[in-house]
Amino acid sequence: MTAPAGITLSGLSKTFHGRGKRVEALRDVTLTCAPGSFTALIGPSGCGKSTVLRAALGLEPLEAGKVEIGGQTPQRATAAGITGVAFQDAGLLPWRTVTRNIALPLEVLGRDVGPAAGRIRDLIALVGLKGYEDALPGELSGGMRQRVAIARALVSEPRVLFLDEPFGALDQILRRQMNIELQRIWAKTGVTTLLVTHGIDEAVFLADRVAVMQSVPGRIVDVVDTDLPRPRDAALFAAPHFHELCDRIAGVLHGA
Amino acid sequence: MAPDLRRWLPPVLLLAAWEIAGQLDIVASGALPALSEILGRLWVDRADYPAHVMATLLASGAGFAIGNLIAVLAGLLFVMSPVAERLSRGLNIAIFALPPIAIAPILTLTLEGMTPRIVLAALGVYFVTMQATVTGLTHYDSRAADVVRAYGGGRGAVLRLIRLRGAVPAILSGFRVAAPNAVLGAILAEFGGGGRFGLGAYLLGSLGRGEPDRLWGIGLVATLIAGLSYAVFALISRRMLGASIALSLNPAAPPSVQLEQASLLLVVGAVLMPFAVWWAILWALRVPEMLGKTPWGVVDYLFLAQTAPTAQARLLAALVQTLPITLVGMAAGLAFAFALAVAGRLTPAFTRAFLPVALVTQTMPLVALTPLLVLLLGRGTAVTLWITISVTFFPAYVMIAQGIAQVPRAALELPRAYGATGWVELRLVALPASIPWLFAAVRLTAPRALLGVMIAEWLATGRGLGNLLNQSRGYLDFGMIWTVAVVSVVISVGFYLLASWLETLVLRRMGMALRE
Repeated sequence: MTAPAGITLSGLSKTFHGRGKRVEALRDVTLTCAPGSFTALIGPSGCGKSTVLRAALGLEPLEAGKVEIGGQTPQRATAAGITGVAFQDAGLLPWRTVTRNIALPLEVLGRDVGPAAGRIRDLIALVGLKGYEDALPGELSGGMRQRVAIARALVSEPRVLFLDEPFGALDQILRRQMNIELQRIWAKTGVTTLLVTHGIDEAVFLADRVAVMQSVPGRIVDVVDTDLPRPRDAALFAAPHFHELCDRIAGVLHGA
Repeated sequence: MAPDLRRWLPPVLLLAAWEIAGQLDIVASGALPALSEILGRLWVDRADYPAHVMATLLASGAGFAIGNLIAVLAGLLFVMSPVAERLSRGLNIAIFALPPIAIAPILTLTLEGMTPRIVLAALGVYFVTMQATVTGLTHYDSRAADVVRAYGGGRGAVLRLIRLRGAVPAILSGFRVAAPNAVLGAILAEFGGGGRFGLGAYLLGSLGRGEPDRLWGIGLVATLIAGLSYAVFALISRRMLGASIALSLNPAAPPSVQLEQASLLLVVGAVLMPFAVWWAILWALRVPEMLGKTPWGVVDYLFLAQTAPTAQARLLAALVQTLPITLVGMAAGLAFAFALAVAGRLTPAFTRAFLPVALVTQTMPLVALTPLLVLLLGRGTAVTLWITISVTFFPAYVMIAQGIAQVPRAALELPRAYGATGWVELRLVALPASIPWLFAAVRLTAPRALLGVMIAEWLATGRGLGNLLNQSRGYLDFGMIWTVAVVSVVISVGFYLLASWLETLVLRRMGMALRE
């Protein structure tokens, strides 16, 4: 796998206009993610954290600010296949099998799907869906679809991975399982990751650093380093230091 | 066993009643033959049918294929280019609203052989499929599109990977609705255009012979063909749909591409387009000036020529007869549809019993139905009204029932939680909520009402526009044939625009969204 690339967000600002109202969605959001790091972006609903991620991918026009992924504009970086992404909803195409859904980014990037067959098989095994290669999304459970989306995010061998609440729709038990799995996948690939979430424990469990946002205007109010040893496993959820960190972030979130 | 029995009981009872009534010659002194008599006659005439059925199948099949091909390509173009959509709006509405019966004579005048039948069948399918294609391509999953865009995919990639395949179910359902239209169009052209073979020609040849059992036989065969064509596409789309149901509801609809402002130029272009196309077709086909009237030719005939005053008087007299009955028929059809939808909500059992019968009358090609209704009802105003109701009520019913069914459960249950009866619940919640659909129903049924009235006038009552058209055909009065065609299209488009305008007005005041 190629070397990971960093993400630099500097001074992102954006205002939504609608029905006579102005909502300042982002104000001067600045965040740097070093190559190979895992950063979580956490905040209450509607604070603009998803907008940050969409802006980082070039999907959201900005009023001010600059995004660089591995030193390139988001448009160039995404078209070059440097990035991978999974959204809150799996967004699978209902008429494509699991294998062909995972291959979708390769088709968009204009790469050959044939030679990637082996890697797609490995990814399916990695997310624990062996035996479902030819299943249609309608035949899978919500958690399984989300895992397909994770595999799809990895298929282009990205150097930067964007995850927008990929487990938001899952129940707490499944979510923990997926967190442990994602941790394992990240350790194996070493890809620079930016995770948007509203789960404090999820953020602390997975990330090296947690950037905390508050709303109206959407802004980053604090960045908390999580100095927890790796590899992390399920036992960590019960560790006292883990809870200390969670409480600290909760404090920042509630504006203490 | 029991639920199955209940489902089959109404149709079986109906067929039994038909048989008994026929055997006893109860209805209109033998105008309704018994089912067994009709089937017997079908058997006697069996040597006649293959050639006629083949001709109709060929024409409607070719028209179906050509019309749908053009419709899908046009839908694609309209989605890609809003300007093209705006410019073609006038043409599209004209094609949707034009009564096939009015242009059948023109087509037979200007085209040869099978072509008029194919064109009329193609015109019958174009609007339905084009609309379905546009809807299918517009309502795609924005989340899946985000994935494609996140990998640098542009509009082309989203279209190719998501929207085209995603539109397939909508397009197939368009084909399903369009298929009986193609059969109807072909039979209408056969009926209005002469030629030896085709069910329409067979019907025309059998009209004067006073043999109800044969007319019924032809009607049944035509209905069967139309119904089967619907069923084939219903089956195909059910198979395809298995894999394509949306996985979860998408809360955010894709952003719709809207033109900032419909510039005056575009509006004028949209109005002029149908006339330009009309002119261009005549020019391209090199139709002799006497046969093929240009827009200017019609103006000349109606206003400038020496015979203009008589032409105006005849046209006016026909309009005075046609317009009131069209409005009355449309109102009656809508009222019937509304009553049916309400009844369906209050007593679902009634709907279950009635709907299959209604569905059969809808696939029944109108031209084949009309002589039968004449046999049953005579040639008075009643037959016109019944035909108009029968062509308008079903689409209206489907629309209104859909509106009533779409009211969220929670909203419906609120009055019920305070002990409201079904009727109160309907009045307070379901009816107001279905108003957008009611207006959409008015807009969609207005052109059909005029078509129904004109067919009844042509075939049954000998009054109004339909009769004027038929007479002019006999007198080879080409100017009047074109004038009636143009006037009926203009009236249809006028009804449509009036209904749309009222719809926008009322919905805006109520703060509700438009239903396509």
